[in-house]
Amino acid sequence: MEKHVSRKLFAAAILAASALAAPAASAQNAYVIGYITDLSGPLADSYTPTWQGFELYMKALNDRGGINGKKVEVILDDDGLKADRAVANAKKQTERDNVVGIFGLSLSSTQAPVFTEMRKIGVPVVTTFSGILDALPPSKPFSYSTGVVFEVAGEAIGELTKNIKPNGKIVGMTFDSVGGRAALSHNKRMAESLGYTWDEVLFPVTTSDFTPFAQAVAEKKPDIVVGHYGSGQNLGVIPALRRSGYTGPYIVASYGVTEDTVRQAAVRAGNDENVYYVTRYATIYDNNPGIAEVSAAQKKYGTSKPFSSMHLTGWTLGKFAETALKACGWPCTREQLDKVIQTLKVDAPGLTGGPIEMSPQDHYGPTYWRLYVWNPKTTSMEPKSGWLKKAALKFPLQ
Amino acid sequence: MEFAATIVILTCTYALLAAGTVILYKAGRVVNFAHGELAIVGGYVFYSAGLMSGGTSLWFPVAGAVVFSIIMGMFIYMAMMRRLVGEPFYVAILVTVGIGIVLKSAILVIWRAERLTIDVGVTPAIRMAGGATLSYMDIASVVLTVAFFAGLYLFFRFTRLGVQFRGTAENALLASQRGVDVNFVLSLAWVIAILAASLSGVLYGGRAFLSTESVTIGLAGLTAALVGGLDSLRGAVAGAFIVACAQYLTVRLVDPVLSEAVPFLLLVIVMSIRPWGLFGTQEELDRV
Repeated sequence: MEKHVSRKLFAAAILAASALAAPAASAQNAYVIGYITDLSGPLADSYTPTWQGFELYMKALNDRGGINGKKVEVILDDDGLKADRAVANAKKQTERDNVVGIFGLSLSSTQAPVFTEMRKIGVPVVTTFSGILDALPPSKPFSYSTGVVFEVAGEAIGELTKNIKPNGKIVGMTFDSVGGRAALSHNKRMAESLGYTWDEVLFPVTTSDFTPFAQAVAEKKPDIVVGHYGSGQNLGVIPALRRSGYTGPYIVASYGVTEDTVRQAAVRAGNDENVYYVTRYATIYDNNPGIAEVSAAQKKYGTSKPFSSMHLTGWTLGKFAETALKACGWPCTREQLDKVIQTLKVDAPGLTGGPIEMSPQDHYGPTYWRLYVWNPKTTSMEPKSGWLKKAALKFPLQ
Repeated sequence: MEFAATIVILTCTYALLAAGTVILYKAGRVVNFAHGELAIVGGYVFYSAGLMSGGTSLWFPVAGAVVFSIIMGMFIYMAMMRRLVGEPFYVAILVTVGIGIVLKSAILVIWRAERLTIDVGVTPAIRMAGGATLSYMDIASVVLTVAFFAGLYLFFRFTRLGVQFRGTAENALLASQRGVDVNFVLSLAWVIAILAASLSGVLYGGRAFLSTESVTIGLAGLTAALVGGLDSLRGAVAGAFIVACAQYLTVRLVDPVLSEAVPFLLLVIVMSIRPWGLFGTQEELDRV
């Protein structure tokens, strides 16, 4: 008798565990998508606002009634900037949560294995951060990017530098990483083709006191300095450059760098007037209906991080996801979703300079870049150029 | 001038960390691998206490960092290190590694891994030839480090507690038999070491930024202590100076990317030639 009861209890436990392990079943009446990013690792301060922008979009979308009468359920997982955790999250989302596609992702090092694993089982993945070459033509299947690919950013920054000084010496700075070196090499290529002379200073990834590196830059007597890295590095580099006696133009490449970081760095540097910002997406200081819509959602739903360009980036990805799911119809399968993304065109007026356009050969498409300058008097940014259109590069370079 | 100033300021940061490592080693034969984490968490506490006071007073964040150091020092010794008396030396080392991991997680959980800067005295105080500047915080780094080492010297040399401290470091059993409260002395060693680390973290946060990656300054401090000699405060300063010079000169003359590897290369060389460090005693090494 006792044995019989134990068996029953065991069976009940198994049933309960199965029920808990299959939340996707409860979401059969909704589009289920995954979102993986770094919410607790070293770059959480860059990725969290992007996620919050995506979340804002989804909240607003679901409040409007969702897509084709179905809500969108987002399964969020934190990779802590670790590749193995990112892959485990992606497998969990596809096997247990039964997502139709994965969005977000963090650094290039965590993107690559997720792209590879998801390609094997045919799950479309759309990243919106540093982006790796998989999305650039010739694009690999199931791998898309609406973000900032280092190589393209490097070229765009090189071209936009003309709006600051038409000639002179540029010193590029980055940390010693594959992405950083790629950005520098493309920035250099464009700068030299435009008649600038080029020099560069690299530092270890874990650097947090930039004074010796800034002094090495100042000693090279640059006319313009460009920094290819994230928020934290800018927070350290800009004041260190000013302490080292360099007062010329400094360009912040927007790899997850928020306006608030630029403000903090400028204040630390002594309310600097020579800080520039190059971004693929607009800044919160732009005055247009697109920004106003995101700002209104931010006020309505709230975010823990200060409103920034990264929220606009995440919001645009949300718009991309909605357009894709709408085109996919109901029920939406992974194959169908991938098929519609391949020819997707998403307008994001006010948030970037032109539409995001995918094609079967190009999973990145043309991108639009703009130069801004920090104004310490108004504590805001002002456009210093129009939107520069860049075609996706072809690799190997022709 | 700019070159010398940077090396002096780097030396101060590393010397404070190395001093803490030396004090702990001398007092309890513990090599603390959590010193970088303690320094950066001390900086974070300073920052948060400053926010709580509305940024109006410097006393509140200073008090916050001091209270953190006292509580943390007493807690680590009383709750963990005291129980390890008689255990092999590597057990204490492993415990400090664990403390480091917990503190790093605390940065993630409490401060959400945010990069923070301590914007106290960051305005230029001295302008040098070529336009480079030194901030009030830079000057404070030097003044406070000198004051800390002078205070330590006076404490060990002229106070009763300092003599008890030296006695405990020399022979804890004998000191105990002579009526010295060894547990109190060893707790005090942890408090002083964490105070030095917190000071270093605050100064570092004023010059660079606080983050989970910044804890690597602890390795530079440990390297400085090992190069100078684990049982020598004089060696801590010398080791800090050597590490700072090596890092700075690598950036300026060799390849900036190698700047973090060079101190360790230096460590390997010193350890190969003189394993007890430049100012350490051979006898101490034999004990380990």
